[in-house]
Parts: sequence; C-alpha cells; structure tokens
Amino acid sequence: MTSAKRKRATALNPTRLAGTALLYFVLTIMLILFMAPVYGVIVTAFKTATEVALQGYWTPPATISIDNFARVMDPEQGNLSLYLGNSVLLTIPASLLSIALGTLAGYGLGKYRFKLDGLLFIFIVAGMFLPPQIALIPVFRLMNAFGLYDTLWAVIIIHTAFGIPICTLVMRNFFQVVPNALREAALIDGANEYGIFFRIMLPLTLPALAVLATLQFTWIWNDFLWPFILTQKADSRTIMLGIVNLTGQYTVDWGGQAAASLIGSLPTLFIFIFFQRYFIKGLTLGAVKG
Amino acid sequence: MQRRHKWIIPASFLFFPLLVYCAFVIFPTANSLYYSFTDWAGYGAEFNFIGLANFDKIFTDRLFGNAIKNTLIWFALAIFVPTLIGLGLALALQGKSKINTVYKSLFYLPICLSPVIIGIIWVWLYSPKLGIVNIFLRAIGLEHLAIAWLARPNTALISVFVAWAWQQTGLNMVIFLAGLTSVPTPLVEAAKVDGANYWQTLRRVIIPMLRPALVVVLALTAINALKSFEIIWVMTKGGPFNNSDTLAVFMYTESFRKLKLGYGSSAAVVLFVMTLVIIVLYFRQISAAEELYD
Repeated sequence: MTSAKRKRATALNPTRLAGTALLYFVLTIMLILFMAPVYGVIVTAFKTATEVALQGYWTPPATISIDNFARVMDPEQGNLSLYLGNSVLLTIPASLLSIALGTLAGYGLGKYRFKLDGLLFIFIVAGMFLPPQIALIPVFRLMNAFGLYDTLWAVIIIHTAFGIPICTLVMRNFFQVVPNALREAALIDGANEYGIFFRIMLPLTLPALAVLATLQFTWIWNDFLWPFILTQKADSRTIMLGIVNLTGQYTVDWGGQAAASLIGSLPTLFIFIFFQRYFIKGLTLGAVKG
Repeated sequence: MQRRHKWIIPASFLFFPLLVYCAFVIFPTANSLYYSFTDWAGYGAEFNFIGLANFDKIFTDRLFGNAIKNTLIWFALAIFVPTLIGLGLALALQGKSKINTVYKSLFYLPICLSPVIIGIIWVWLYSPKLGIVNIFLRAIGLEHLAIAWLARPNTALISVFVAWAWQQTGLNMVIFLAGLTSVPTPLVEAAKVDGANYWQTLRRVIIPMLRPALVVVLALTAINALKSFEIIWVMTKGGPFNNSDTLAVFMYTESFRKLKLGYGSSAAVVLFVMTLVIIVLYFRQISAAEELYD
C-alpha cells in the first residue's frame, strides 16, 4: 500500500476523524487563549478613551481612532518618535557590524584548519550562552572610562560584541558546506585569499546573511537591559526604554500603552511576517543536528 | 579534507572579531570575577580587595536566599511547562496542511515581541478590575479567584512566569518542529505497520529521535530562565516584598539601585556559575549525541 492510499484509508476511519476533530477543537481553544492578549492590544490601541469608558477594552472599536498613536509619538508627550529614531540608529549599525565580524570569524574558522581551531570555535560560541549580567558592571565601567556612557555608541559596541558568537556560529557552519573546489579553482586561476573571500564567497552567503539579519535585528531592537544600563538621557534612549518610561507616566492610560506596544513591535512584526522563513531558520540552528 | 594553511591567513580573518569579542565580552566577564572580590560601592569610589568576604556575606544574606529560592522555582517551572506544551503543539501541528501553517505562525508570534512589551501587555491583562484574566474568571463564576495577581506575595512570581512562558512556548515549539523534520517518515510508518499505536510510536520512535532538539530546548530554556530580567522588572520589579525577586533582579538591584557594585558582582558570579553548569552539560550532551548519530 502506498502512503497516500494509507493516509486516505486512515482519514476515513471514524474514530480517527473524531480524534482529529477533538485535537483541532483543543488547539483552537488554546489558540484563542494564546492570541487574546494580541487581540486586546490591537483593539485597545485604536479606541478612544471615551469609547473604552463606555464599552470596556474587549469589544472591537466602533470607529478607528489613531489618537493614542498620535499622543505617544508626540514629542511633547510620549516622545516615541525620538526613541524610534534612536533605536533605528542603534539596531542597524549594531546588526551590520556583528554580522560583518561574525562573517570574518566564521570564514576563518570554517575554511581553514589550524592548531586549536576547534577550541577557538568553542571559545567564541560559548559567549552565546553568557548571561549579560556577568558583564554588566565591568561594561558600565568600561564605557564610562571611554567617555561613551550615555551615548548610542556604547550600546552599539556592546551589541556588536555580544552578537559575534551567534554570527560566527552561523557563518562557520555555512562556509563549511561551501565546496572547497570553488576556492581551489580560484586559487589555481591566481586569485588571492582575500579576493576569493570578497568576490566568490561573500556573494554566496546571502541566505545566511538574511538569517542573521533577521535574528540580530530582532534581538537588538527588542533588548532593554543594555540601553537601560548604558544610557540615561532622552537623546540616547531606545524605544523599549521609552515605552517602559511611558508606562510610568501614563499608569492607567492603557490605550496609550497599547499603541506604544504596537509601535515598538512593528519592525519585528514586519520581519515575522515577511522574513519568517529566515527567522525560524536562525532560531532552530542546531536543533536538527545538535 | 582541507589542506593545512599558514596560520597568518586565518589569523587575519579572525583578528578583528576576536579583538572586539575579547575586549567587550571576555574581558568584562573576567573583570566581574575580580570585582566580586572587592568592596566597590558607588560609581566613582575607590575600592579594596577583600577576598571572599562578599561570598561569605551573600550566602547568609536573607534577600539572596530568597532570590535563589525564586530562581529555582522559576527554573523548575521553566524546564517543564513551556517544554511540554511546546512539544505537544509541535506534535499536533507538524503536518503541512494550510490550517497547521496558520496555527503554527500564530503560536510563535510572541517570539518576535520584546520581553518588555510582553510584560506591559500582561500587566494589563492581570489588572485587578479591568484585566481579561479577572473578567474571564468572574464570567465563569470564579469570583473569589479574581485577585490582584501581581500584587499578592504568593501569586506574583507565578503570574510573571506565565507571561514569560507565553513567549518561550512558541520558541520551543519551533525548535521541536525543526527536530521533527529529522525523524524519518519510513521509520514512523514502519512502527505503525508493526502494529504500534500512536503513544508507542511516540515513546519508542519519535521522542528518542527528538533527543537533539530536546537538548537544545532544555539548554536554551534553562539559560533564558536564569537570565530573564526585563519581564520581571517591567511587571513587578521583583516585588511585592521581593516575592518575585530572582537572582538576575537581585543582581541589578544590589548593583545599580543600592550601588553595591562589588557585592552585586558576586551575585553575577553566582548566576554565571549556574549558567556554566548548564553550558558544560549542554556541550557534553551534544558531543554524546553526535557520537550516537555519526
């Protein structure tokens, strides 16, 4: 019996059908519970305070209002427009730098054999698991010593450094499976090692770079701890700090908080919707092979 | 196999990444160890080497003991709850049908949200009068359970944990799903032909094949659990009365609120040692798994 035939046979089995129906019933209930917070945030963000007072939070908005968004973005009020800009200025360079450094290290470890290369690889990858808490105080002190405390540079540098392990891991695994024949042919044609890296290898890495770009962007954008420790004034605050600050100011303004939460999540939701494949690939590295 | 190369070329590729990594990851880590042996208090102040005094003190500190207790509760819950639910979801949704694809996407949507935002959302969900949690409990007649979840000493920690698990479950599901793709269909089919029912197939065939994914899930969850700070800070700041104060929160409060930076460093070192144990176990499991499958 082919597997297609067997599938049909089992699908028609009534107990099995009832089992499947029950399974999806349970899954759907779970999904509703799971998605309730997201639904609540979306409907509340688009409602006016008056409507909330009349209808409560959980009904869909009668008219869609962007008052909440305007209020939290306004420089005179929530000031999220400033923090959004700061987050972009932080996240893009930090993502690019960590990926660039990870690509270099990944190439060095993936395509060359030398003494202690395996140990060096573990030394770098182990950094992935370090809790940031262990470095918090010394980094705080180091940035003060460099005069970088309370600037976006401090956060850019630290995210670049802490991104190196994951970027090295991904790129090293990637370069390991690029056929060596490619490199050897180019060497015979007289290309030098750096020419090969820039002209032949880099263009091949695009899918791996896309994986890392989605991962790094999401982590750095969403991070709170490092900017929380390393910045103070509004001019160097990121969006996540701005949002937390806002919850302190507008303790009961759930509409404003919901709008702020949506604004802060838009870029990563965008990645989730359009680059999900790459993002998932990055998250599941190592799950299949170990 | 690759030929041996002169070390100079790989070194030229590795130089800058290693420099940045050592300067801003390895050096601070080692430095933290050093600060944990000092009495550094206050940002500008001078400090002295005091040996193990901080560790003597920390292991008799009531607040530290409390933080360790909360961390262990959090850790134990983290190891089981999101892992089991994530595994269940992955097994239920592993088929490639349209409905499964949509369900999967929605279950892992929380992964892309910041822990800060998740915290804010859940504070609102838990709000005593207007939050959906209590609205729901009242609607199903459990009026007496409609309490101020985050303000009560005995429910604060677990309430924050639920919010955290909301995100971690989706992540675990994704990793299990990736692991399931490596379970060969013929093997599962063969088990069925041999008369194994679903539970037997699951226990004897699928779960053993999922071992690498399980190791990754457990290691990631364990480390995420130990270092999670943001969501707790946003939701309760460790309160009420330190009832949701974990080691990560304790370390922050001692260092940056009370400005006991030397003492805070020793808390960080304890956290680091706990993580180190997991990292070592993880790498050992992985090499064991590789031997098994190669």
